[in-house]
Amino acid sequence: MEAHVAYSPLPALLVLFPIAATILIYPLGRRSEALRDWFATAVAGLTFAGAVWLIPIIAHSHRVACTVPLLIGHLTFLVDPFGMLFGLFTSFVWLLSTLYAGDYIRHEHKRNRYHTYSLALLGSNLGVVFAGDLITLYLFFEALGLLAYWVVVHAETSEAKAASIKYMWMTVIGGFLLVGGIFLTYGLGSSGLVAPFEIGEGAESLRWIAVSLLVLGFGVKAGMLPVHTWLPDAHPVAPTPGSALLSGVMIKAGAYGIFRVVCALFRPPIAEHYTEEMWHFTSELGYAVLWVGIATMFVGVVMALLQENAKRMLAYHSVSQMGFILTGLGAAGYLGPHAAMGVAGGLYHILNHALFKACLFLGVGAVFFRTGELNMYKLGGLWRKMPMTFLFTLIAALGITGVPLFNGFVSKCLIHHALVEAAELHELQALRVAEIVYIITCGGTACSFMKLIGFVFLGKAKQSYGKVKDAPPRMLVAMGGLAAAMAVFGMAPQLVLQGVMVPGLHAWGLHSAILDEFRLITAENLESVAIAFAIGATIFVVGVRFGLFHTHFPAWFSIDYWYERGAYGGLAACLEVGRLYQWWTRAVSAVLRAGRLWSASLATGRRRERLVWWFSLGHWYESGATALMALARAIGAAYQRWLAGGSVRLRALRGSYTTAVRRTRRRWRRIRVTLVTGAPALSRRGVIDRAYVAFDQERQATVREAVNAALQVTRGDSHSDDENRQAYLDAVRQIADYMAMRLFKERLAVIGDAVQQHPSERIEAAVEVGLPALARYRKPVVASALELAVPRQQGHTIVTRLSHAMNELLRQERYDMQLHELLAANATPDAGLVAARARRGMRNVVPRLERARDLGTERLTALERWGKWFVDVLRVIIEAATEERVPWMIEERVSRESIVATRGVMLRYGRDISLNVAVIIAVFLALLLAILATLR
Amino acid sequence: MNGQIAASLLPPAAVFLPLLGALAVVPLSRISTRGRAAGVIGVTVATAGVVLTMIPGVLGGTVYSAFVLKMAPNIWMRFAVDPLGMLFASTVAVLWLLAAVYSQGYMADEHKQNRYYIFFMLSLGWTLGVAFAANLFTLLVFYELFSILTYPLVIQEETPEALAAGTKYIIYILIGGSLLLPGVVLTYWLAGTQTLMQAGILTIDMTRVGLLAVFWCFMAGFGVKAAIMPLHGWVPDAHPAAPAPFSALLSGVMVAAGSFCMARVLLNVFGLELLKALGMLDYVGYLAAITVLLAAVLAISQDNLKRRLAYSTISQMAYVVLGLSLLGRLASEGALIHIANHAFMKGTLFLCAGIIIKKTGRHNISEMAGVAHRMPLTAAALTVAVLSMIGTPPLSGFVSKWYLGLGILQVQRPLYLVVLLGGALLAAVYLLPIVYTLYLKKAPQYEEDENEEGHSGGQPEPAHAGANPGPRRIPEAPWSMLGPTIAGAALTVALGVLAWVPGLPLSLAKLVAETLLK
Repeated sequence: MEAHVAYSPLPALLVLFPIAATILIYPLGRRSEALRDWFATAVAGLTFAGAVWLIPIIAHSHRVACTVPLLIGHLTFLVDPFGMLFGLFTSFVWLLSTLYAGDYIRHEHKRNRYHTYSLALLGSNLGVVFAGDLITLYLFFEALGLLAYWVVVHAETSEAKAASIKYMWMTVIGGFLLVGGIFLTYGLGSSGLVAPFEIGEGAESLRWIAVSLLVLGFGVKAGMLPVHTWLPDAHPVAPTPGSALLSGVMIKAGAYGIFRVVCALFRPPIAEHYTEEMWHFTSELGYAVLWVGIATMFVGVVMALLQENAKRMLAYHSVSQMGFILTGLGAAGYLGPHAAMGVAGGLYHILNHALFKACLFLGVGAVFFRTGELNMYKLGGLWRKMPMTFLFTLIAALGITGVPLFNGFVSKCLIHHALVEAAELHELQALRVAEIVYIITCGGTACSFMKLIGFVFLGKAKQSYGKVKDAPPRMLVAMGGLAAAMAVFGMAPQLVLQGVMVPGLHAWGLHSAILDEFRLITAENLESVAIAFAIGATIFVVGVRFGLFHTHFPAWFSIDYWYERGAYGGLAACLEVGRLYQWWTRAVSAVLRAGRLWSASLATGRRRERLVWWFSLGHWYESGATALMALARAIGAAYQRWLAGGSVRLRALRGSYTTAVRRTRRRWRRIRVTLVTGAPALSRRGVIDRAYVAFDQERQATVREAVNAALQVTRGDSHSDDENRQAYLDAVRQIADYMAMRLFKERLAVIGDAVQQHPSERIEAAVEVGLPALARYRKPVVASALELAVPRQQGHTIVTRLSHAMNELLRQERYDMQLHELLAANATPDAGLVAARARRGMRNVVPRLERARDLGTERLTALERWGKWFVDVLRVIIEAATEERVPWMIEERVSRESIVATRGVMLRYGRDISLNVAVIIAVFLALLLAILATLR
Repeated sequence: MNGQIAASLLPPAAVFLPLLGALAVVPLSRISTRGRAAGVIGVTVATAGVVLTMIPGVLGGTVYSAFVLKMAPNIWMRFAVDPLGMLFASTVAVLWLLAAVYSQGYMADEHKQNRYYIFFMLSLGWTLGVAFAANLFTLLVFYELFSILTYPLVIQEETPEALAAGTKYIIYILIGGSLLLPGVVLTYWLAGTQTLMQAGILTIDMTRVGLLAVFWCFMAGFGVKAAIMPLHGWVPDAHPAAPAPFSALLSGVMVAAGSFCMARVLLNVFGLELLKALGMLDYVGYLAAITVLLAAVLAISQDNLKRRLAYSTISQMAYVVLGLSLLGRLASEGALIHIANHAFMKGTLFLCAGIIIKKTGRHNISEMAGVAHRMPLTAAALTVAVLSMIGTPPLSGFVSKWYLGLGILQVQRPLYLVVLLGGALLAAVYLLPIVYTLYLKKAPQYEEDENEEGHSGGQPEPAHAGANPGPRRIPEAPWSMLGPTIAGAALTVALGVLAWVPGLPLSLAKLVAETLLK
């Protein structure tokens, strides 16, 4: 292989040119913003052109190397076909991102700074992928990590600062792990080059430590589980072109590092004759990386499904997609000399992910640029307003979900094949499981992007967008470039496979014949995509229906929580050591001072007397007895204290135990109910509904009272005519109705908030107890209605006075405080009161239920009934998919006169839906069976 | 040494030039403050020039040597410049130059400036004497002079704290110094010679008790200066009390002088074989490892900026001792370049601390929130030094860490890697919060004092306005202070990026390791 190394300064130039160009950004930026933007784009473009120039050189001689005298000795750059691939897509995405930034950054501050660090990052990133020895790799990797700090902190908001501090710590610690691993690699006998080296016997554990440190160190950057936690914080706060680079390109530096560790550093030397034993370590390492990859992809996708913020979701998808890449690379390591499929899959996916993730970030960024909104649930219907953005984002989504003819399909199939191959190698059943997880993750990815496209671009608009139009041209060009590249790599995978992978694999002495046999459009591949999409659709429907996408895990569930606890614990321990030390120095100096005083006073008369006294026996008896007494008393006191503390602790323990038991029982009951009846497992919806009815009754009572009062007034007043009187009554009713409605909404909103935080039973009880107290707010409503009705009747505008009265009233009431107090007091309603209310409620309900039944399905034929049912279910799904996720029903959707009738209808739906869910579960099970069957 | 010995006047010139300069301080100050400044800076520049002109020769293998004075039969005061001495001397000369310029700004409104400058110049001379000492006697003389005559600099401010710190300092130093004399005498008695210009004068066939006594006398004696853990007590008190430019020297040179002398004694008096046979260095290594970690942990709990930096010095200088104790070539190279690299990093940090303390009057880190927006250049220099301290490539701290790390594995002690990286991680824990306190935290009080200078209308300030220094900002420090600080940061960068350039510490350290650790 050494025979083919060509010497060319091009790699070093590509690395140093963008870094050197940063010097000009500030001077140019002061003169003209546009000039600076174009300059930055030109630098990125020239770098890309240089990377393209590498292609013929690499094609000719497979490797290009050069050295630069810097740091200790010199830096070595060495580009092989894989490095070239990385260099190409890095500079390509960078070029487009810089172009995009020209428009996007216009509304941000510190634009010069952005372009400066962006170019410096480009150079560092190329330095990582062109590095020929470990010190160069480490240098540029650290530079990349620390410079990317600026991307995270760019906005300088408090969230950005918090995210940046977290990012910085993870980078710094990752750097330490990495350098530790590099030291150990040297210690194991490496010459420092990124190439296989001979390892002596008996260094097994050291080798594992070295590899773990290296993989963890690179993994921090790569977003590998469990060190991915900076990613989802950093992305939403970074400027969009920055997040596109961060996610699309920079985290690939970590994947690149892991790739080199698995496939270049820790593998047997390149030779003609391999034995299985020589590959043993690489194989085990690959197996570990593979499982880390599987875990990463699964956890990433689960977390992604739970996000509202589009950028955060994409960030979790980056984590998940890195899992795919790691799986491919791990499979490559596991397969040893037959690594071709894994290497090709992992690296192809790196390329693809760079393209589609960058495009997705840019697309979402364009939406944010125009609407200022990142919450997916608050957007919708944007495809009309931003058709081109929609198109490009859609292409990227098709790419990432692995739809045939788009690029993700190729790499996902390659990785899948590698997994299958790995599973067949030693007939490991565990890898079959991995494959199933893989398919499910593909399904989750599909679901997630159905969400993104569906909620943001399709469906109903949930706000009026006003002057929203498509993204500016430069942003569109950037996205279009990425989309075009995606299409090219999706249609013509042989371009990369034969152009890069085969020569690259040859250079590393791996068999590549299997890639020649690889066929993309086969029944198997299409089937796995279809299964994935079916799973995705199932998750989507079930998730939307049951609100699963809004699940929040408890705090201790997140890895971050434990990191934070660990960090603060460590810090506290350090401070404690500091405190102890201070105490120790104080004690020493006190002893010294006492000694000095004592020696000084030894000469004086009193001291001598005291000495005599000190040596007398009686004194010792006396003080001994006193000390014993004191000791006994102290023991007694301590025992008492211990007893008291123990009982308190026991009581607390019992309390927490009963709470836990009760909570478990409640959950179990809910699960059982869900399983048996298929009713949605949202008991809080029930609370809200009941509160709705209760508050509505209160509202109606208020209005009634106001009208009654108005009637009294008109009765006493005999001067006015009927028409006048009627107008007065109407005015009073309108005002009272408005005010009562406001109160009603306010209270319901409070309940809506409360259900997020407290168990339903307690809220229900608190509402029940607090209900009578609400009646006292009828008076002020009535009073203001009567007072304001007169000016309104006379045609005056009363908006100001009305809103003033309303504000006053709301301030008086503060239902949230009331509810909070009741919750804090753990109020339980009086049983009699509840029964009475229930009776009263039944009286209201029973006659109306008759009417509700009329809405039913009595006089329909069977076919019509099925059709109606089907249409209903469809409508429910569509509504659930498109409706804004508010925790209570929007009043317009419920006819105000017949809440109860609507509830009747809902109950019927519930019954039908249970069938619906049963069908879904059956489909799901069938799918699982199908998967299992196909895999076996 | 295998190089040829060349008689030269340059070493004594470098040592005595500052001593003459000290004599000139008072007459010059009679003329004008500016005259004194010119004199002090001129003499330091000349000294640095003399020291640095010897580098090419030293790299070529020449040993510049000069017999100065015959004190007694067979006992000469003699200077000789070998790579090890050159490494230390060049660091000293350049850092002193920075401190001299910085002092002009920092000391401008302090009392008793003449006393300060006299002892400042004297100390430079003594320190160079230590670096160039060709035998143990010369080393001892200059070491003691240097130790004791820096006392006036420690107590320069004459506050009660400074006086207490000075007392502590002098007690520690005297006890340490009193151990050195028996060491020197015993060596002379055992070996019959005391020249330092060869790789070891003691051999294993001498009495073991005597060898052990010599070893521990030297280790304890220099250990006080090098702040090895049970002997470090003076460091955290002396640093905050001393004026900032001298704090920088205390950290960069004084403590390093202890490590340098240790290296001198270990490599030139004992030699590699004897140390391996003696097997005592392991214990020194353990102590150093504990010092690295414990001092770093203690640094975390300090809120006073200079105190935290002082603990950091203890921790960092223990790296040097740790590296020396491993007796490997790479580890020794790492240890020796860390003397130079640490001097500039820590010097820069103390100079920055001086600026911040002088300009804001705040000593505690928790009170320094948002300072970076008022003094961007100072904060940038501080950031560079901090990053270097935690070993970020391509800064100088990384070079030391790299060699130490490789050296640790070269001698097959992978557990020390935990100490090395743990110390660096703890350094990040105690240093990075300084940086983000300076940059990221909001400083509510500053708005008030700025308002007094005239508020420009009632329009709300954009969130990022903190970074552009408008007219309302308190200006940066004068260039006499800012210049050396930035130069220190630049040196930190240069010693990392250009570490391979011959003549810089790395080449000298390699030369030392080549000749003395064959």
